[in-house]
Amino acid sequence: MSAPDLPARCDIAVIGAGPAGLAAATIAARAGLSTVLFDEQPAPGGQVHRAATTTPLADPVAILGVGQARGVALARDCAASGARILSGATVWSVAADGTLGVSLAGAASPVVARHVVIATGALERPMPIPGWTLPGVMTAGAAQILLKTGGLVGEGRVVLAGCGPLLWLLAAQYRRAGARIAALLDTTPRANWIAAARHLPGFLASPYLAKGLGLLAEVRRSVPVFGGVTELRAEGGTSGRLARVSFRRGARAEESLDADLLLLHQGVAPNVNLALSAGCAHDWDDAQLCFRPALDAWLTSTVESISIAGDGGGIGGAEVAEARGRLAALGALRRLGAGDPGGMRAKAAAHARAEIATGLRGRAFLDTLYRPAEAFRIPHDATLVCRCEEVSAARIREAVALGCPGPNQLKSFLRCGMGPCQGRMCSLTVTEVMAKARGVSPGEIGHVRLRAPVKPVTLAEIAAMPTSPEAERAVLRG
Amino acid sequence: MAGMSGDDADFAVLGGGLVGAATAWGLARLGRRVVVLDEGDVAHRASRGNFALVWVQSKGLGMPRYAAWTRQSSDLWSGLADELKRETGIDTRFERPGGFSLALDEAELERRVAMLRRLHNQPEMTVALGTEIVDRGRLAGMLPEIGPDVVGGVYCPFDGHANSLKLLRALHAGMQHHGAVYRGGCAVQAIEPSADGFRIRHDGGETRAARVVLAAGIGNARLAPMVGLEAKVRPQRGQILVTERLQPFLRHPVVTVRQTDEGSVMLGDSQEEAGFDDSVGTDVLATIARRATRMFPLLGRANVVRSWAALRVMTRDGFPIYAASARHPGAFLVTCHSGVTLAAAHAYVLAPMLAAGALAPDLAAFAPERFDVSPPG
Repeated sequence: MSAPDLPARCDIAVIGAGPAGLAAATIAARAGLSTVLFDEQPAPGGQVHRAATTTPLADPVAILGVGQARGVALARDCAASGARILSGATVWSVAADGTLGVSLAGAASPVVARHVVIATGALERPMPIPGWTLPGVMTAGAAQILLKTGGLVGEGRVVLAGCGPLLWLLAAQYRRAGARIAALLDTTPRANWIAAARHLPGFLASPYLAKGLGLLAEVRRSVPVFGGVTELRAEGGTSGRLARVSFRRGARAEESLDADLLLLHQGVAPNVNLALSAGCAHDWDDAQLCFRPALDAWLTSTVESISIAGDGGGIGGAEVAEARGRLAALGALRRLGAGDPGGMRAKAAAHARAEIATGLRGRAFLDTLYRPAEAFRIPHDATLVCRCEEVSAARIREAVALGCPGPNQLKSFLRCGMGPCQGRMCSLTVTEVMAKARGVSPGEIGHVRLRAPVKPVTLAEIAAMPTSPEAERAVLRG
Repeated sequence: MAGMSGDDADFAVLGGGLVGAATAWGLARLGRRVVVLDEGDVAHRASRGNFALVWVQSKGLGMPRYAAWTRQSSDLWSGLADELKRETGIDTRFERPGGFSLALDEAELERRVAMLRRLHNQPEMTVALGTEIVDRGRLAGMLPEIGPDVVGGVYCPFDGHANSLKLLRALHAGMQHHGAVYRGGCAVQAIEPSADGFRIRHDGGETRAARVVLAAGIGNARLAPMVGLEAKVRPQRGQILVTERLQPFLRHPVVTVRQTDEGSVMLGDSQEEAGFDDSVGTDVLATIARRATRMFPLLGRANVVRSWAALRVMTRDGFPIYAASARHPGAFLVTCHSGVTLAAAHAYVLAPMLAAGALAPDLAAFAPERFDVSPPG
């Protein structure tokens, strides 16, 4: 029952085959270190270049945008570098000593790495509005996955709601793929424009400027856009499915639109679950409203054997992720004492850092402009926060009133975050709801403690992992 | 929340876990003014990591009084569950259908049977534990999903289980219902005995109380000397795995496998000497998983959604300590590693003694002086 295709050891294990992971594995393998790239998906690319090499879309470049070509090139370089790419491999635990728990094709094995690069990217920020759990409501990111992997677009009247670049990107992609978009409801608070204005000079120098403006123009030409949207609700019909979307704009009366599919999105946040479970320290980032790992100049975490590359270390986008992947790998080579012929490493690192700086130029503008409104992050009492365990915001506030100080005690009081998603969908909301209720900063509230398995794995798979006489003695009774 | 400059109470209970909360609830329902001082969100909390058995069958070898104390708590438990439900609306899901330990080979079964025989044959045993050896044939009737490796087991009609998280929440809601004040994020720095009681300095300020109950688990080791007591407790790591929710298949709790009221299955739990390291280790989890799938093969297909490790509060002999300070009357020490099983005894038997100001002589077996004599051999 062990996984025969898994190596027992390697020098560098990279987790996640998005731009960061592909770039990191390529650098590590080219330096002659045994490198294994683990990826959960059937093909490399990550979210941004998902199914870059396998999409069934007839003309992916025309529908998804030219960015996909970069994904194909990264995957090709990585394969040529000598790195071993294991697709369909789930890493469900990472220990500080470099031991990974990996499942491949229904069997689990430990893999011991001298250094680990976590490149698990970002997750969509939850957008807990009334009715967000109705059938017919999903995230824009999920819709984009279906589009990229299956060539699928939602049928009927589609409404997109929220804020952030990905919402606009999906609107454009959905349009090009032939979807009927009834409206894009932009929840960007009007005041954000004023706050963002002072970051405008940076954004004007950003490589994203032209791309972003083009996207906005394309969507506005073909989709009715409603700005300044507040009090968004998804309402069900007699079938229990989504029937309409209600909202307000400023002081106007409530409006509503019939809808068959509502796609929600309000930005992304680092996927920190694996790094947290490995014990890497994280801080609250108030600009990006998320926890991010504490990293040094080589992207090494507070656990010496673990680096974090890509959006998992803070949102920067695909190009920044790629440069961070290279930098993290260079840091790993340095730590492992790999040869540095011609002293090229410092130069390559400086180059990567410069690319990161350029790529992040417009970030402050985007973070400020698309900072989701508090009402969409800290929901009203009746709205569900934890979908797995059906915990409403009201019950979290009651627990705080009972003296519950943070998400760990909350978990034991309400099972909030104990379901199959292990808090991936609710933890940011929980932290912010508790912070607001207690009148302290989200950083003071903290993140729920995460434990392996970070992804579900069967008991039979865990049972097939190696054991030890000490472990037998610790478990056997009587 | 309580006053600005500090609290004034009959009792300060240090520790808001199951032991502290059960004791505080027991005191508050008798009309005592209680302040519970607790640490913050990140703390070594055995109460968040336990296996939630209300367990009798193996308790008391080496201290017959502990067997009786455990059995008494098991008998009081349904009353506790009823009262908490009435008071707070929270159902702690206590059930006492009788529980099993299962053996995967003859040698295991023999060891277990020999242990039970020694336990029952102790001269001072005052209660029956009702245990019986069950062969494979009878087991298959009561636990239809057992695997072919199970050779037999031990059944005890007084064994049960509860939802320990709901118990913790119900005790907290209940004690506040009776007027107790809970203060989180108040790690205790110092306890200063004074003429009229105790002055407790903590991260949230200061609390004065006529009496103080140390129920801080592992933390008691640090706090006890402040009131002239000693709490020789060490952490013992226990690791647990939990599966996704499954259709009900297991009516009786097994000492290392139990299906919760929510359908998930808890598997555990190890006993490891690992200091304060509460990380999880895959070799122990693999061993737990392997034994569980041999006991109940259907579990092999179940997804594991979580694992965790928590630190038990162990004394050298594994039994609780209940002590009253001779040097500073009014200070008490309560520590044990069975906060769920003993919750009813702490609420209904121990708390009234504390309210009256003295431990009953029949709790003398639990006094820490037992550690003063050097162990035999």
